[in-house]
Amino acid sequence: MNIVVCAKVVPDYEVPASDFELVNGRAHERFTRVIGLYDENAIEVGVQLKEKHNGNLTIVSYGREDDIPVLRKAIAMGGDKMILVIGQSDDPYVIAENLKMAIEKVGDVDIVLAGRQSADMDRGVVPGILAAMLGYTFVPQVTKIESLNGEWKVTQVTEKGVREIKGKGKALFSITDDPSNVPRIPPVRRILAAKKMPVEKLEEVKPTSMAVEELSVEIPKMEIKCEFLPTEDLKETARMLLKKLKEERYL
Amino acid sequence: MKTLIVEIVDPARLGELYTVSKFFGETPDLVALGKGEVPGGFGKVYQTEEILGANIIEPLADLIKSEGYEAIIFSSSTEGNSIASPLASLLSIPILPEVIGIEEGPVIKKPLYGGKAIATYKIETTPFIITVRRNCFEKEELKGKSETVPLETKDKKLELLAEREEKVEGIPLEEAQVVVTGGRGLGSADGFKMLKELADLLNGAVGASRGAVDEGWAPPQIQVGQTGKIVAPNVYFAIGVSGASQHLAGITNAKCVVGINIDEEANIFKRAKFGIVEDYKKVVPALIEVLKEEKV
Amino acid sequence: MRVPYWNIKYGFIIDLLAIPVIAIFIYGIYKHWKNIKNGKERIKIKNIPADIPKIGPIYTRPFVILGILGARLYRKLFTGIAHGFLFWGMFLLAIGTLLVFSNVILGIPVFKGFFNKFFMGFLLDLAGFLAIIGIVFFIVRRKFFPPERLTAIKERKDFLIGEGILAFILITGFLLEGTRISLTGPDPGSFIGNCISAIIGKPGLGVYKFLWWLHGLAALSFIAYIPFSPFVHIVLAPANTGLSTPLPGVKMGVVDIDIEEIEEEEEEELVLGVEKLKDFSWKRLLDFSTCLWCGRCHEVCPAALTGKELSPKRVIVTLAELVKNEKFEDSIFESIPSSVIYSCTTCAACLEACPVSINQPKAILRMRQNLLMEKSEIPEIMGRAYKSLENRGHPFFGTGFGKKDWCKGIDVPLFKKNETEYLLWIGCSIAYEERTQAIGRAMVNILKKAGISFGVLPEIRCTGDPAKQMGSEFLFTELAKENIELLNSLGVKKIITLCPHCYTSFVQYYPELGGEYEVIPHVVMIKRLIDSGAISVKQQSGKKTKITYHDPCYLGRHNRIFDEPREIISIMGELVEMKRNREFSFCCGGGGGNYWSEEEGTRINRERAREAFETGAEIITTSCPFCVLMLTDGLKGFTQEKKVFEISELVEENLIE
Repeated sequence: MNIVVCAKVVPDYEVPASDFELVNGRAHERFTRVIGLYDENAIEVGVQLKEKHNGNLTIVSYGREDDIPVLRKAIAMGGDKMILVIGQSDDPYVIAENLKMAIEKVGDVDIVLAGRQSADMDRGVVPGILAAMLGYTFVPQVTKIESLNGEWKVTQVTEKGVREIKGKGKALFSITDDPSNVPRIPPVRRILAAKKMPVEKLEEVKPTSMAVEELSVEIPKMEIKCEFLPTEDLKETARMLLKKLKEERYL
Repeated sequence: MKTLIVEIVDPARLGELYTVSKFFGETPDLVALGKGEVPGGFGKVYQTEEILGANIIEPLADLIKSEGYEAIIFSSSTEGNSIASPLASLLSIPILPEVIGIEEGPVIKKPLYGGKAIATYKIETTPFIITVRRNCFEKEELKGKSETVPLETKDKKLELLAEREEKVEGIPLEEAQVVVTGGRGLGSADGFKMLKELADLLNGAVGASRGAVDEGWAPPQIQVGQTGKIVAPNVYFAIGVSGASQHLAGITNAKCVVGINIDEEANIFKRAKFGIVEDYKKVVPALIEVLKEEKV
Repeated sequence: MRVPYWNIKYGFIIDLLAIPVIAIFIYGIYKHWKNIKNGKERIKIKNIPADIPKIGPIYTRPFVILGILGARLYRKLFTGIAHGFLFWGMFLLAIGTLLVFSNVILGIPVFKGFFNKFFMGFLLDLAGFLAIIGIVFFIVRRKFFPPERLTAIKERKDFLIGEGILAFILITGFLLEGTRISLTGPDPGSFIGNCISAIIGKPGLGVYKFLWWLHGLAALSFIAYIPFSPFVHIVLAPANTGLSTPLPGVKMGVVDIDIEEIEEEEEEELVLGVEKLKDFSWKRLLDFSTCLWCGRCHEVCPAALTGKELSPKRVIVTLAELVKNEKFEDSIFESIPSSVIYSCTTCAACLEACPVSINQPKAILRMRQNLLMEKSEIPEIMGRAYKSLENRGHPFFGTGFGKKDWCKGIDVPLFKKNETEYLLWIGCSIAYEERTQAIGRAMVNILKKAGISFGVLPEIRCTGDPAKQMGSEFLFTELAKENIELLNSLGVKKIITLCPHCYTSFVQYYPELGGEYEVIPHVVMIKRLIDSGAISVKQQSGKKTKITYHDPCYLGRHNRIFDEPREIISIMGELVEMKRNREFSFCCGGGGGNYWSEEEGTRINRERAREAFETGAEIITTSCPFCVLMLTDGLKGFTQEKKVFEISELVEENLIE
């Protein structure tokens, strides 16, 4: 079984709002580079699948060459091979096209996995676009996968609960977190092995981007000032609070 | 613009998307997913029993092409996420997900970096697809009933084997838009009964700080904080919670924190947007009473 | 005059039997040695001061004081005295027997004159008498009133066999003496023998001969029995204490896994941590073989005292049995579950308590290393902290603070190469936890007031200590080397630390990786500043505020710094000691990575907070940010008042302008 997991290196998603800074509309370069949170879940699912079916796992990424040391952590978790397409575009079509190119280099791929949403762009559209480009069936928000002879059953997490969905053939799943796919800490041996593994680097292709213009990116003002409400008439205060919450669209 | 909404038969979600469609001028058409009576107010309404995205994409694409829709609107829900992006690729059109604001243009706003930044985009061509975040737009009240035309779906790529609703004593903490958390300041397990009533009225979930869990007043499954659940609701009521940083670590992305604590120096007020310095035993019943009045 | 072998024909058979007995004894010791040899080479710790007295591999001071004199035993006064009676009693009696041999074989006149009366008569009788008191104490206590520490986990019941034989030897010895004296007349000096003789009247010669052989054979069989009984500690205990590295703390040493240079074959052989018995160093195996199951470690262990499954006695006893049964190839984790291993806070109270210098924390940490580095097994929350340390350089996942938040509002100088004297090392707990940010600010203000040339690094860095405690030598070495490279490039020579964990890393482990600096814990620095007059602290007069001090494990036990904080406190108030203080301090529960854990049973920090609270002191102070966090949390169960303050905060508040 040939499995591909798409992983993206992003700025640290745990940077607190009070410390967050933008330069030219993107996160400041000083933040630590890490693999996206859901991507790690996807890698874990991929490794579990590979171990169960004695398959082959390739990690594919579109991004910077400088991020290779970070990507090695993905390999350490259980990847056999790593392909990096070097590029910096944020456009989902460009990203998807490049990931497709890398996946085609891997050969006959049965399942592609990706995190449900990247931790920087907060979009979650690349997996679906990529699936359509590859002609693979797309199911998002998957936590568990069972596969047998080209037929598969997945567990999908919805707003209200879970769904069990069955399908067959080549598929792309976007993965969300679940106790069954907590990303493993790679044993030291694997970290050492991963440091030596060669990374295949590809030059990006440049298809047309979406006809969308980015006008601005801003940090919303952080209101740290607490508005203390009067306490003489608590019922009136309660009404006041609820009104304010609705006005500011919190409720 | 000729607008098409694709959504399940849920009045709240339909209401929000209807409001969004008003930015584009025309009365929107609707493709309703799943069974049920479709409320009125739309133009042409198609319906299919299918809710699994992969089964609907091709018929939808055909429909959009043949009818010439310009704005296609989904919610950022499981259904929306399953359909919108592969559909966009199939049609080679722009897609902007997780929309939280719209202006003339169309110019849309969406969050980046886990909500720490907001990006503004101008869409330059039609047709285009947007998916809209829940609870960001008013829910239009849709009256009456729509006549529907079936939407033909061809080969099923996916089969739904089972669907289970997880009722974990109300809404799961991490999904809830409103969370009401009790801390050591509650003084007893009984305090949580009061909080549950408040949470239920707000359609929210009840959480607990570590102090309350330590005292045995709440199970560890609802502990919010660094060593518990990380939640990001719209409103977070911190009641009798001192606001230790481990607790605050669980709510870094809560949009609006309301602190209710008898101690005006409590750390929670550094994080809260609204504060009430008073015994919660007096404040919470007042809130409950007012909410009950409003429901009537 | 006493005549040896008086009336015993063929008495020399006893002498001949001594030969096979000694052979059996040597064989028994050899068996232990063979088992112990299965262990690996010890890691060389390089920063042992050269002037510590040594004979070969044996460090003489601990060998004599702990090994021979058994100093630690006396912490429990009655046990210590009883053991002293028994050991020194038997020791003198053994010398006495050797002197008898020397008289028989070489004709040395020991039975004459003053020497006979004083030594051979009086002293040996006294020795035997005290030895009986000792052995009776041990037998009766173990059989009828055993303290919990002896029976906890497992009891070493075969002690009673050896004790019984010893008692038998002593009693038959006195009976024999009494019988002899009855038959030959009173012996000068032998006050007990004379007494016994008076009591037993005049038994026949046959009785005498019977007792003679009985006593002799019993004694010989005991000697042969020693290596196969717990009494082998006569040999192993002094050996173990003499071979223990005489440095404070756990002495983990450093494992330098250099990624670039590691060869294929080396990687195969590389065992990370300990999976099987034979992965331990031979010194650890000696530790386990020496253990007497006395349980003194168990009764000071914070985990054991708060209902966790961990007890150092459990760990060592289990391993000792594995050694005895020669299970060198079995996986240890079948006998010791990983949850037990992760409950350890590495406080080293067990190490401190052990009379025979067993290094329990080191054994536990070596197992932890295997769990984490080989098997990636780690409790969930600790795992999150570990991943955060790996990915973003600090373990405080979910922190709401950025790198500069701790010093918002105050001006902190940066360390400049060739200009600044001291580097003030801001550790992760100061930067990323709100309560402890105040400690950093307080120290900055104190240093500024004192006019000291100091600066901080532009980035917050972690020394790597949490990695080491959680079991990843790999991550520790990686972080340490990065830090050392940076510090050396900046020409840093002196470092002031705010956290004892940072201090321990710098002092105990960095030198071997190339980082040699003069490191001063902040509390010592403050004391120096006060002593030199650079700062002045308000002296309380009249009614003094009661202040109690919690010794942090990593400042106290691990580095033996106890006095400076107390001296500072005595200026500002009246020092009230908790019952468990100084090297006997009770852990706050935050060590060993357990700051990030959900504990079972009572929380350790609550236990310690209660102890502090019950002193009635108005202020509870300490000199470690983790202790501050743990005690503040633990105290919430007893009072809503804010009572826990760090020493630097108190000093800053009491500075005279």
